[in-house]
Amino acid sequence: MQKKNGSIITKILFYLFVIVFVGIIVLPFFWQFLTSIKPMAEISAIPAKWIPSSVHGQFYVNVFEKHPFARYLINSFIVATTTTLLSILIGASAAYALARLRFKGKKIMLMAILSISMFPTIATLSPIYLLLKDLRLLNTYAGLVIPYITFALPLSIWLLTNFFAQLPKGFEEAAAIDGCSRARVFFQIMLPLIKPAIFSVGLIVFINAWNEYIYALTFMTNDLMRTVPVGISLFPSNYELPWGDMAAATVVVTVPLIILVLIFQKKIIAGLTTGGVKE
Amino acid sequence: MSEKKKKTSSIMKTEARDAWIMMTPAILVLLAIAVYPILRTLWISLHEMVLTDPGSGYPFIGFQNYLNIFKDERAITAIIFTLKFTVTTVVLEFLIGFAAALIMNKPFRGKGIVRAAILIPWAIPTSVSALMWKFIYNDQYGLFIDILMRLGIIEKYQAWLSTSSGSFMALVITDVWKTAPYMALLILAGLQMVPEELYEAAKIDGANVFQRFFYVTLPTVKTTALVALLFRTLDAFRVFDLISVMTGGANGTESVSVYAYNHLMKFLDFGYGSAMAVMIFIIVFIISLIYMRVLGDQITDM
Amino acid sequence: MKKRTWKRAAALAASAVMAFSLAGCGGSNGSGSGSTDATSDGGEKITLNFSFDQGVGEPTQKIVDKFNESQDKIEVNTVILPQDANTVHDDFVNKLAGGDTSVDIMGLDVVYIAEFASAGWLADLGEYLDSSATDAMIEGTVAAATYDGKLVAAPWFTNSSVLFYRTDVLEELKAEVPTTWDGWMELADKAVGINGVEYGADFQAAQSEALVTNWVEYVWGNGGDILDESGAPIINSEENIEATEIMKKLVDEYAPEGVTTYAETESEDVFKQGKCFFIRDWSGFWSSGQGEGSQVTDKIGATTLPIGPNGTDPHSCLGGLDLVVNNNIDDAHKEAAGEFIKFMTSEETQKEMTLISAQPPVVKSVYQDAEILEEIPFYEDFYGIIEGGKSRPASPQYAKLSDAIQRNIHQALTGEVEVKAALDALQAEAEELSK
Repeated sequence: MQKKNGSIITKILFYLFVIVFVGIIVLPFFWQFLTSIKPMAEISAIPAKWIPSSVHGQFYVNVFEKHPFARYLINSFIVATTTTLLSILIGASAAYALARLRFKGKKIMLMAILSISMFPTIATLSPIYLLLKDLRLLNTYAGLVIPYITFALPLSIWLLTNFFAQLPKGFEEAAAIDGCSRARVFFQIMLPLIKPAIFSVGLIVFINAWNEYIYALTFMTNDLMRTVPVGISLFPSNYELPWGDMAAATVVVTVPLIILVLIFQKKIIAGLTTGGVKE
Repeated sequence: MSEKKKKTSSIMKTEARDAWIMMTPAILVLLAIAVYPILRTLWISLHEMVLTDPGSGYPFIGFQNYLNIFKDERAITAIIFTLKFTVTTVVLEFLIGFAAALIMNKPFRGKGIVRAAILIPWAIPTSVSALMWKFIYNDQYGLFIDILMRLGIIEKYQAWLSTSSGSFMALVITDVWKTAPYMALLILAGLQMVPEELYEAAKIDGANVFQRFFYVTLPTVKTTALVALLFRTLDAFRVFDLISVMTGGANGTESVSVYAYNHLMKFLDFGYGSAMAVMIFIIVFIISLIYMRVLGDQITDM
Repeated sequence: MKKRTWKRAAALAASAVMAFSLAGCGGSNGSGSGSTDATSDGGEKITLNFSFDQGVGEPTQKIVDKFNESQDKIEVNTVILPQDANTVHDDFVNKLAGGDTSVDIMGLDVVYIAEFASAGWLADLGEYLDSSATDAMIEGTVAAATYDGKLVAAPWFTNSSVLFYRTDVLEELKAEVPTTWDGWMELADKAVGINGVEYGADFQAAQSEALVTNWVEYVWGNGGDILDESGAPIINSEENIEATEIMKKLVDEYAPEGVTTYAETESEDVFKQGKCFFIRDWSGFWSSGQGEGSQVTDKIGATTLPIGPNGTDPHSCLGGLDLVVNNNIDDAHKEAAGEFIKFMTSEETQKEMTLISAQPPVVKSVYQDAEILEEIPFYEDFYGIIEGGKSRPASPQYAKLSDAIQRNIHQALTGEVEVKAALDALQAEAEELSK
């Protein structure tokens, strides 16, 4: 920008790079989208057929008519949102302590928290199932949120600890001298400061929970309590892989998430300019 | 003077207490749900426990299962493959993710859309995306083959997933496509924590793009990037879904998780399978310790 | 001083609120669970949970609904799992290994019967299905449902493979249906180029259970076997080597490039696009292969599998699902489950299931039923194929044997290892297992 020469070329190159990059990333999804509106006969045509000869909405109708897909969406949304809110809330509080308060055994705590999420899921699936069953939590939202927290919380704590640690030093002392309580410092000063980070961490936790498959399959046996990934995996039957339905479902699942992100982004950018780190 | 000293030490005490209070909810939640299953797996791993042979009485055999892992060629091969896969994917994801984050942190028209678009791969449920990529690699109607043929890069149908180098490449591409956005998002969050003033100051001092990157950007996002790398490494080392859907472990692509799964779920050898699971845990733990050495002081010291 | 104490209290309270909000949330959801778990029955009605996969989801649901309406003592709840033999198997293992009783009846792939029975998870069904019931069933299916002399499963429906070929291409070639692999290969050489055919052969050779079912058919069709009468492995025999060479030749010269990555779906897609002369597939492909999107509707014929130079009779690999009862549930539930199983395996239900699902029944008389034959004329010949079918070895060690077959044969087919060397390695692994 400061150089006049070549600035247009730089810009064009920049945009070209962005377009190619985004193009590669989006291409498979775009292909899914094309599949979802193709006529059945063209889905597995050889060679692959790019532009459908006619546009069909039947697969979208199927998704909602053949399966309680709206219910799957609601379930996924409730579980993923609750998981996100809880792990951010519990995680932020712990992360604040780990990053900014002085006490012994911090590294051990961090490692302990991390190690909980390091165990291979397949080994712990059966005991968690029995535990949830004894607690009568199978087929409930809590029965899914609680195990999800075991992977969401360590991630949240680690990331948030890192972001808290990056804030300039000396805030607390100043605040304490001003007579602020720890709770006020935490809620009114520290949390707003790392808002953009919270948004990113929240998004990551949300999508992790949204995509989780094996817990959701095992702990939710009632069809009305199932989540989206399990729901889609129930589409194929013995002699049919309804790829069109599955593609439509993928679009139905992905597009709202993207819209959500777009809406939130505005808030975050706003949050950045007003609440950014100021010394 | 002494009055002030007393005050600081009491502040320290309060701080420690407050810290534990603030961590209590997290500790309780994790203890409640995660500890029992982990202890149980550890306990089982010390037994000879093949579920199809209840007559054995599942005797306690100490660390025999662990010793057997070292004699098991297939386990060693799986560990080596998994390490190779982990290093390759994590490095690629990191480079691509970092580049993407730098782009998204720049002000330009259409930035919001680029940011949202980049999340798409990651927002598609893994169970669907693994299947989707398997179709993309299909030798007849796959998208990959179609594009390469249209571009004239190859002339004949090719079955990517039927050779070991092809399978490895396919798995790496799929994994990088799926998780580079995760890396990008985290590093972007780190970049956003860097005050704009720092760049301005560096610019005024006459630093060029590279200097600004190496002296301003890199140091400030270093810890964030390391945390992102740590979590990606842990996930990549435990890769399971992707491989089980795309190759089923064929052509030398059996990861440790797939192998442990085979023992636990296919052969119902809970003893050995649990030992494999603990082994994965130990390896991952060691990897974390290495990261911790680099990272520890930075994120815990204020 | 006072002020500080207050502050500390506030901090404590704030943390407590956080902790409480968590507990509160878990609690409220938890109390909701009680009602979902509780059965909605009025009196002494027994509720059974019946778990099976989506592969037969819809038709089974219809049959279950009918059962629920037909009487008022038992209510059967269905739990439908994704259509994937592994997913279903793992879900059952996770539950049964922990002594769970939340599932009473399961639709289990025949290949896992021995494994589950040896773990002690399956209830003895001899009490509920007497010899008159089992005598009416195809012998092979009953044998596969028996472990250690006990009937631990009820055959539900069976499955068998068939060679489907393009009738239009055969007509162009003015040829008879061959019965040997040599005969088929000779025709396939000429078939390429006719009516869009690009590949002679199509089958399933991805490293998976599908590969095992394919491979054993080459072996059986060439006079070979996996285990001898005493259960000892006889894998690297001359017959088996020859059989595997035939399969490899098909992979190298006749099948699509990616056949070693194909499970059922991929192989069917290519055949349905009209690119293959013949395909080895399960019987249900007869109807699904001619559905919407298929280029080969009304151009499919079905015949027995070919044999190798050393073989006398073709043997298809038998598949299918059995109904099994969780051994952990109490006697009242077992009794009720027995009732339900009697209903499911009765001639009438079997016929109805066949009509709505196109799954081959286990009750013999259904194959002679006029209505069935009108709907699925191909069953007349198919019955013979099923009767001549063989089962994969029934042993608690089967999973390991299958895994060894998958790896070694796949390596032979992709050319990574010589056929003979692969079979020698497989023989060694199998011997290790049978120790």
